[in-house]
Amino acid sequence: MAEKALVDESFSPEQFEEKPHSKWEEWKANFKRRGWILLFILPALIYVIIFCYIPMYGILVAFQNYMPGDQIIGASTQWIGFNNFLTFFSNPNFWEYFTNTFLLCILGFIVGFPLPIIVALLLNSVRSHKVKKGLQILFYAPHFISLVVLVGMLRLLFDSGGLIDQLSIRLGGDANGLKLFLSPEAFRPLFIFSGNWQDFGWSAIIYLAALSGVDPSLHEAAKIDGASRFRRIFSVDLPAIAPTIVMLMILSVGNLMSCGYEKVLLMQTPGNLATSEILSTYVYTFGLIGGQYGVGTAAGLFNSVINVGLLVIANFTSKKISGNGMF
Amino acid sequence: MKKLIIGISVALVWLVASAAFAVLGTNQNTSGDGFVVLTVKEDSVKDYNTMPVFKDLANETGIDVKWIYNTSAQYSNNTDPVGIKGIDAIYHSGFSNLKLYDYGRRGRIVAIDQYLSSMPNFKKILDERKDILEALKSPDGHIYSLPRVEEMGLKAYPNILYLNKKWVKKLIDENKLPAGLTLTEADLKDGLDLSRNEFKGILQQFYANDMDGDGSTSNEVPLSFVTGNWQGNEADLIASFGLPENREHKTIIEDKVTFTFTDEKWFNAVRELATWFNSKLIKATSYTQGDNDFLAKGQDGRYGSFYWWEKNTVLSKELRDDYVIVLPLRNDDDIDPETGKGRRYVGVSNEQEIEKGECVILETCQDKEGLLSYFDKFFEPIYSAQLNYGSIKSGAFLPEKVNGKLIPNDDHGNQSADDFRMKNAPYGVVYLTEKVWEESVEMESRAKQRLEDLKNYVKPYSYENAKAIPNLNYTQDELVTLNVYESSLSNNVKSWYVTSVTNGGIPSKESWQNFLNTNKGSIEKVLEINQAAYDRYLAATQDK
Repeated sequence: MAEKALVDESFSPEQFEEKPHSKWEEWKANFKRRGWILLFILPALIYVIIFCYIPMYGILVAFQNYMPGDQIIGASTQWIGFNNFLTFFSNPNFWEYFTNTFLLCILGFIVGFPLPIIVALLLNSVRSHKVKKGLQILFYAPHFISLVVLVGMLRLLFDSGGLIDQLSIRLGGDANGLKLFLSPEAFRPLFIFSGNWQDFGWSAIIYLAALSGVDPSLHEAAKIDGASRFRRIFSVDLPAIAPTIVMLMILSVGNLMSCGYEKVLLMQTPGNLATSEILSTYVYTFGLIGGQYGVGTAAGLFNSVINVGLLVIANFTSKKISGNGMF
Repeated sequence: MKKLIIGISVALVWLVASAAFAVLGTNQNTSGDGFVVLTVKEDSVKDYNTMPVFKDLANETGIDVKWIYNTSAQYSNNTDPVGIKGIDAIYHSGFSNLKLYDYGRRGRIVAIDQYLSSMPNFKKILDERKDILEALKSPDGHIYSLPRVEEMGLKAYPNILYLNKKWVKKLIDENKLPAGLTLTEADLKDGLDLSRNEFKGILQQFYANDMDGDGSTSNEVPLSFVTGNWQGNEADLIASFGLPENREHKTIIEDKVTFTFTDEKWFNAVRELATWFNSKLIKATSYTQGDNDFLAKGQDGRYGSFYWWEKNTVLSKELRDDYVIVLPLRNDDDIDPETGKGRRYVGVSNEQEIEKGECVILETCQDKEGLLSYFDKFFEPIYSAQLNYGSIKSGAFLPEKVNGKLIPNDDHGNQSADDFRMKNAPYGVVYLTEKVWEESVEMESRAKQRLEDLKNYVKPYSYENAKAIPNLNYTQDELVTLNVYESSLSNNVKSWYVTSVTNGGIPSKESWQNFLNTNKGSIEKVLEINQAAYDRYLAATQDK
């Protein structure tokens, strides 16, 4: 008891208050000493504010009868509530565009997401350094081909009169050849596989970087335990890059409904419209070219809301299942 | 540390400064007297400021106009051309009905009808021609743009079928004409009379044989067209099944706005086209190519037959005599008991001879009366003709009139008539009507030739009671509804049609009926709005 009382006496409240122990004080002291490091995030912050946050006020256009030159907030603004959304949802093709977008993106994701992981794991297991580097360059070179050139190549190969068309005729297939660019069924495979061919090597880089961080001693220990190469991929490599995979998956899910319109537009023909008209091409043709900026923005906003919803769901699920998440 | 801060500050200053310059850079220099008019033209077209016709206009009116220009690519990238600083008007604005109305009711472009007192020519036109007045009115009753009126009667029938007579002659010589068809060399002249099945038989021979004699049978194109193009499309081939088809599948029959694709004859035509496609008589390129690709291929003589509105632009000089005009194909399923032969039909296109949106005046213009009185001169025949074909002083017309009429000069040295016109004619706001052609301006010889061809080989077979849809005047609600339903419907029709023809099978009746059922709502809405607008048009143009 006496000991305790002694301690209590030495502890005066005044002394406590003088010491810079509150979080705020600590932060201030820390900032004084190392605050300049924060300057490094300044360019990124400015970029995000200028290009991501400031333009966001444009969302208001979705609730207006807007045309360029109008003030977005001002006396001349014509507010029309949710009319643009109603116009968009009442489009008889709305569900078709929605399904097309969803299928194109989800199928692209199912094929495109695991591919770089597999490639990275395989590349990582290649023994010869030279072969590994060579393959890596070979895989990511297509990434640098521009979209227009890529679609040009696709047309040379798969359009009527193209290589595949000619080959199928010569090989005694359908006398009329394979007009893949006119076929709604061929659009998705062409789009997805060409996109993955172009990007699987590039996307594998981030996994390769994660794999290079795997402690070699883990592999050695596994080897001693008699693990095969295949076993080591599953038991050492894959768990090591799991957080990266989860992170990238959440990010991809957040972009699941945005396939981009440029390549789709370039590949669109009157024949494949049944599958190639998606929300973003609708926003482009109806909103930008047709001058219906309000409806276009409403459609774009609808797409973004779905993306945010998917992002939150993916994050929540991943946290529940694996404990990894972004926020 | 200091260096880092300096570095970042310099980068920031540079960013802000370049953004500021970019904003300032879009402002044009507006100093000086006179008007500045933005026009949309390609680099290959001569500078309007040096064109004699504009110099004459300046001398006559005493009004000084400085022309600045955007190429069509630059112009289409500008989402708000009306917002360009320092210009008074936009020539070749190309604004749609909705855009004119949207700009007009925001007070950003001028309601021209309020200045008719300074525009005697335009006022006279509107007084005389109720159809033009109706066509130009926006939903609020105002006129926001100056029109282009070029009435030659050429646009209604934009497809003529041409056949390679050299190839047919080869078939005759080699005894390879399809069974049942007898043709002699003497028959191979303009106005060749064929039924659809006979024509198909000829195309089959074109496909099966090495017609151009290069040792290969694979590069011949039996029949070519550009689907959905305003000219040279396959509408008349479909029309041969007995319906007034045009590229929009929309026409007026006995004052009723009608869709052709809801007619069973249209479905039968699609089935037949699919068999033509499957037998390679029509290549897939007809459904994917643009007009440039189409024209390029015509130059090497690979076409057995093609649809276009004339043959000279399609064929190189040495090939032009090898092709003859085929009369609209006879319908083998609809035999006229009197002649014992199939009947012939062609549809009427909806291409307008009255185009709105050619020129708009901006609200910021300081002297609207002045500028409009200048543009009013464009409607006089002497200026309309020069704007449409090139200045007299640059050699588009002969220097002297004959019987009070301007006579076009056909001799342009090494240049083709098309090239000369492309470089020298500003086009745009003109008023060239039947009366003008009769009294003041002689038509170009090639236009006369085309009219003659149409008169002899196409017009007599026009579907009875079918009319083109005129420029209709919609209310704002109708415009908005049409915008949604018509664009999606036309997408769906295009998609069903092209897929059905090109997917290698033959479309079933069930698939066509499903397609109609799915689009029933849109079809009804679009027809209802168009019918209402057309009824109003009839009331407005007939009463007065």
